[in-house]
Amino acid sequence: MLKRIEDWNYYELLSVERTASQDEIWEGYQAALATYKDGSLALYGLVPEAERELVLERVQEAFRTLRDPARRREYDLALLRHAPYFPPKAAFRKSVGKVEIDDAPPPKPGFWARIRRLFVKNP
Amino acid sequence: MDKRIWAIGGGKGGTGKSFIAANLGLHLASLDRQVVLLDADLGAPNLHTLLGMKAGHPDLGDFLTGVAPSLEEAAVATPYKNLRLVRGSENILFIANLPHFRKLRLLRQIRQLETPNVILDLGTGSSYNTLDFFLSANPGVVVATPEPTAIENTYLFLKSCIMRVLKLYMDHYKIRDLHQRMLDQIEKNSQSLYGFFKSLMETDRSYGTILYRALRGFRPCLVMNKTRDERDVLLGRSVADVARKYLLIDMKYLGAVPYADDVQASLRGLRPYYPDHRDAAAARAIRQMSEEMAYSIEFTLRTPPEIRLPEA
Repeated sequence: MLKRIEDWNYYELLSVERTASQDEIWEGYQAALATYKDGSLALYGLVPEAERELVLERVQEAFRTLRDPARRREYDLALLRHAPYFPPKAAFRKSVGKVEIDDAPPPKPGFWARIRRLFVKNP
Repeated sequence: MDKRIWAIGGGKGGTGKSFIAANLGLHLASLDRQVVLLDADLGAPNLHTLLGMKAGHPDLGDFLTGVAPSLEEAAVATPYKNLRLVRGSENILFIANLPHFRKLRLLRQIRQLETPNVILDLGTGSSYNTLDFFLSANPGVVVATPEPTAIENTYLFLKSCIMRVLKLYMDHYKIRDLHQRMLDQIEKNSQSLYGFFKSLMETDRSYGTILYRALRGFRPCLVMNKTRDERDVLLGRSVADVARKYLLIDMKYLGAVPYADDVQASLRGLRPYYPDHRDAAAARAIRQMSEEMAYSIEFTLRTPPEIRLPEA
């Protein structure tokens, strides 16, 4: 919801999910570095210099913590205590039948198809 | 009918809004989808030139003055199958200062157009007219270029959109005194949007929640045009990320359209870019962007915030 920059957790700072792999964390770190580096165009006209430095420090701290599995586990436990994690839901709903979904799993065979598969050797 | 109104806008001139709008229209039309392009750049219309057409009548001005009874009749055929165009008016002085009732009529008629795809090519700047056209569309696409001036104006445009959304909701819920407070806090004291919402949540949580939800319903997309290298492409991603964090809006980065010398050549030859350069990187980028938007489940489910413009 509504969060001040000091309240962003390390995952939010790097714009990655809490289940992110080490590669995703590295990628998020590189993107955050590009965003908050000195002279970054992305902040032009919106974020003051003092705030940029503050965020950059936190980005580096976030990366140091999340790349170390032991420190990350410790941080995750601390984070879970006051902010439970709900993984993002699938981006589709059943009612949207007309849209092709590349990532969607193949539809499960129906009940009779499964029964038939039990009895027919080469369906 | 599954209808989509696209608005192509942005804070700075020369970023390529009309180029993106024209080529997006040409691409969608080439897929056998009916498209109406509407030149809503009231101050400097030139979408017809990008399609290789001449200015003429009927145009948007004819509709607004009642010469053309409906927008449907102001939409003329183009040399391209499935694509129609509502040309911008040559009577710029009259049309750029669009009265409120005419704007409402135009917005209503845009919604009533019997075409699954309507693309609005908006003008530069943050006038109420431009913002209202942008906010009525879904998806609204902000076009920027990798230059400090364009980035600065992009944020300014987004901030103006945010202020407009909040004002419309404040008017709707008859909490107009909050508007003055918002102007005092954000514009005069340069307080951040977060600061405004924080203080509002403390004093009046119910209105704070309504306005915050209204703000989250504003979901613009970003296209970085004229990119020359990987850094420029990543800049778009950074801008969307910064907008999400500092302006509290759910901004989606659609991708980058690479710079191409051929664009200039096409323009000089009064030929549209897309049909002659289908395999060029810029055309591929537009294709990819439009496909993502046209088929995206996310956008199918997204509904634009219900904004009711106050009567004049």
